[in-house]
Amino acid sequence: MGDPTGFLKNNRKVAGYRPVEQRINDYSEVELQLSEDERKLQASRCMDCGVPFCHWSCPVSNIMPEWQDRIFKGEWKEAWELLQETNNFPEFTGRVCPALCEASCVLALNDEAVTIRQNELAVIEKAFELGLVKANPPKTRSGKKVAVIGGGPAGLAAADQLNKAGHMVTLFEGTDRVGGYLRYGIPDFKLEKSFIDRRLDIMKEEGVVFKTNSYVGRDVKINDIMKEYDAVCITIGAREARDLPIEGRELSGIHQALDYLTQQNKTCAGDKVCQDSLIAALDKNVLVIGGGDTGSDCVGTANRQGARKVTQIELLPMPSKTRTDSEPWPLWPRLHKTSSSHEEGCERLWCISSKKFIGENGKVKKVLACKVEWVNENGRFNMKEVPGSEFEIEADLVLLAMGFVHVVQKDFVNELGLKLDARGNIDTGADFKTSVDKVFAAGDANRGASLVVYAISEGRGAANAINEFLSK
Amino acid sequence: MPWEVGLAETHQTLVLNDLRGRVRLQTDGQMRTGRDIVIGGLLGAEEFGFGTTTLIVMGCIMMRKCHLNTCPVGIATQDPRLRKRFAGKPEHLINYFRFLAEEVREVMASLGIRKFNDLIGRTDLLEVAPNSHWKAKSANPSLLLHRPAEADKYATYCVQDQIHKIDAILDRTLIEKSKNAIEKKEKVSFSVPVKNTDRTAGAMLSYEISKRYGDDGLPEGTLSVDFNGSAGQSFGAFLAKGVTFRLNGDANDYLGKGLSGGKIVVVPPKGSTFKPEENIIIGNTVLYGATAGEVYVRGVAGERFCVRNSGALAVIEGTGDHCAEYMTGGYLVVLGKVGRNFGAGMSGGIAYVYDVDGNFDYFCNKGMVELSKLDNDEDVSRVKSMIQKHIDNTDSEHAKNILSNWSSTQPKFIKVMPVEYKRALEEMKLKELDKKLEGIIEEEEIGGKA
Repeated sequence: MGDPTGFLKNNRKVAGYRPVEQRINDYSEVELQLSEDERKLQASRCMDCGVPFCHWSCPVSNIMPEWQDRIFKGEWKEAWELLQETNNFPEFTGRVCPALCEASCVLALNDEAVTIRQNELAVIEKAFELGLVKANPPKTRSGKKVAVIGGGPAGLAAADQLNKAGHMVTLFEGTDRVGGYLRYGIPDFKLEKSFIDRRLDIMKEEGVVFKTNSYVGRDVKINDIMKEYDAVCITIGAREARDLPIEGRELSGIHQALDYLTQQNKTCAGDKVCQDSLIAALDKNVLVIGGGDTGSDCVGTANRQGARKVTQIELLPMPSKTRTDSEPWPLWPRLHKTSSSHEEGCERLWCISSKKFIGENGKVKKVLACKVEWVNENGRFNMKEVPGSEFEIEADLVLLAMGFVHVVQKDFVNELGLKLDARGNIDTGADFKTSVDKVFAAGDANRGASLVVYAISEGRGAANAINEFLSK
Repeated sequence: MPWEVGLAETHQTLVLNDLRGRVRLQTDGQMRTGRDIVIGGLLGAEEFGFGTTTLIVMGCIMMRKCHLNTCPVGIATQDPRLRKRFAGKPEHLINYFRFLAEEVREVMASLGIRKFNDLIGRTDLLEVAPNSHWKAKSANPSLLLHRPAEADKYATYCVQDQIHKIDAILDRTLIEKSKNAIEKKEKVSFSVPVKNTDRTAGAMLSYEISKRYGDDGLPEGTLSVDFNGSAGQSFGAFLAKGVTFRLNGDANDYLGKGLSGGKIVVVPPKGSTFKPEENIIIGNTVLYGATAGEVYVRGVAGERFCVRNSGALAVIEGTGDHCAEYMTGGYLVVLGKVGRNFGAGMSGGIAYVYDVDGNFDYFCNKGMVELSKLDNDEDVSRVKSMIQKHIDNTDSEHAKNILSNWSSTQPKFIKVMPVEYKRALEEMKLKELDKKLEGIIEEEEIGGKA
């Protein structure tokens, strides 16, 4: 805290987005960055709290006050050293994290939170610019081999940590490129993929072996992995998407959000997508079912593809725009958010339930929906259809973004005989150990679909546990 | 040291010696719940202090910036921008203590105890929870839980009132004799003997005055009391406006503590043969926290003279160490030698020292103050008038000599002034000048138009 009164002198300032009319025509990142001088002033707003709730709320326990102080002083190297102690990939979280830290920032109690996420991004990008982030392979090797299955943020964090600990790490990725949801879920306009490649290059140089197109259970046998490696870390995410089994689901033009987003990400990467399986929004009435972040990503992508109209519906009521008493500071509040994609044009409806897909010639044309209300019955909110509220939404492309149920079990999870928890994810204790010896699980596969920052935290935790296991 | 240890030891020792019944034991330190209070009671306490918890209830978020004036919840700050953020309410505290009391009752009920006094010192109701922590393994709490056999025959909580012997103190006489002054603002003067067991003489008298007239006190010179003898501690403490205490003799420590507008004069008893300017006649820590009033002492003071003085005017003929320590306001003239560390932490007010040996520089702590000569009329006339008042009140020969040889004594005076205080005063003066200038210009403009 270089300036104890920084928070009194400087207001919160976010860099904001590129203008809608400009950004809607490309897939480059929408968010802007502040100048270095302005960034320092923003960092000076950190109060260096005696009890910093940002640490507490951050899944990777970043120590924000320490590095924000260094930002203010212009000590970028020191800032980066402190940041990389707790977070393997600040360049990802700095772009896509919802910033749990900012919700519990002490300044947010009666003022506006410090711009912690963007401050984090400034540190890591400055570190890359200064050439500080470079391969630093471990000095000694343990001789132990670890297989990491799944190349999302959890797998990457686990691989990075295990490699740094001296183990030989091989990461098996089912698709053609490493990155998981970072690569094929999050659109380029939120996270440009060159930032993933930049990190992967460093990890490769440090000794991590990446095997792409190696879908375990199809391209690679789990038994071979079990034989060859001293420990296995499963980080395959929770990719079993929630479906909407209502009448007309079999019509064409209804897709899972992730399939849609993946295609666009591949296109942005220069891949050719087969015309037969192309999901295109051009000149279509697009309906996104599901009001979460993935849904919002679909909205942004559909608008960029030239959709005629985009509608997003959500089953739950519209959340409050400000904190409610039931979620007091420093808890994470469920707030109504307007993302950059929403700004680009989209009708949003809440308390809407879909009843039937209506099609013509096997193609979806409309969706029959109704309004619902949520009634508090003995402390439980139950959904009730509002009588006579049925209406139709024009839709020739429907994207299902209703979240993910659990880990994909059929490929090798069942084969290994891993015990599952009540929600269908891989069951582990706090030590990330599964029911099978030397097999660990982390990230969404373990805790269910969640944030990138939780995945990194889980990956680090599992790496610790594996390191301990291998050191015995 | 955790409070449990000290409390148990204190309680047990007092019970053993049959002294527990004469005192109340209070404990504090991380008290949070009704359970904490009951455990404190079982170990021997009957009063409890709450610090952190109550602050938290009022909105403290443990910022640990209390010393920086940047408290973001407006508790430990005077900054109006931050005070606006204070969201605490008295009701929050009331609520907290209500719940606290309720929990105490619940625990007591579960123990079958009807009154809190009945559980004080009942260590037999405490048992040691198993704890496998490596540090806890070697700890033996049995001494903490010991209950002296004497507890069966002696009191285990406060059963006896203290005898304060406050009925026949000197202030009762002072109040009685000053009745007409206090009630009718008539001029009253009288004389009483004083001895060193008469403590805080004048404080209750001043209470009677300020109760009626507040900060205004009595009109100047209404009540005048002559004391003869050796005054006890805190002579003239909080003395109110309009009251003059004149002491022929000497005084103990804390003279004029919190002086609130009254006047205290101390002179050696008639017939004494010593040189007043070389002998100590009042004790240490004089004028502690005084806000207004005057003190004239014909003689030398002990240490820490004028410590934390924030507005009183004082003339003295010499002092011990640490004179003017932490002074924040008022004026001080020392007509003789001072001890070391003069002006430590002094942030306001002005001291003038008659540096007869020319070595004051050595005795002064210059961390916060700067030294200069009496180089302007304002200082010269202030010092001269303060010395003249000293002479008028004490008939000091020493002071008379200084004033009658002013052309040779004036150069020996050194002005001690806090740097920041000086800067602030100058800024204020400049602002005033600016205002005047503006006024003149405006007038000229108006004149021009006319």
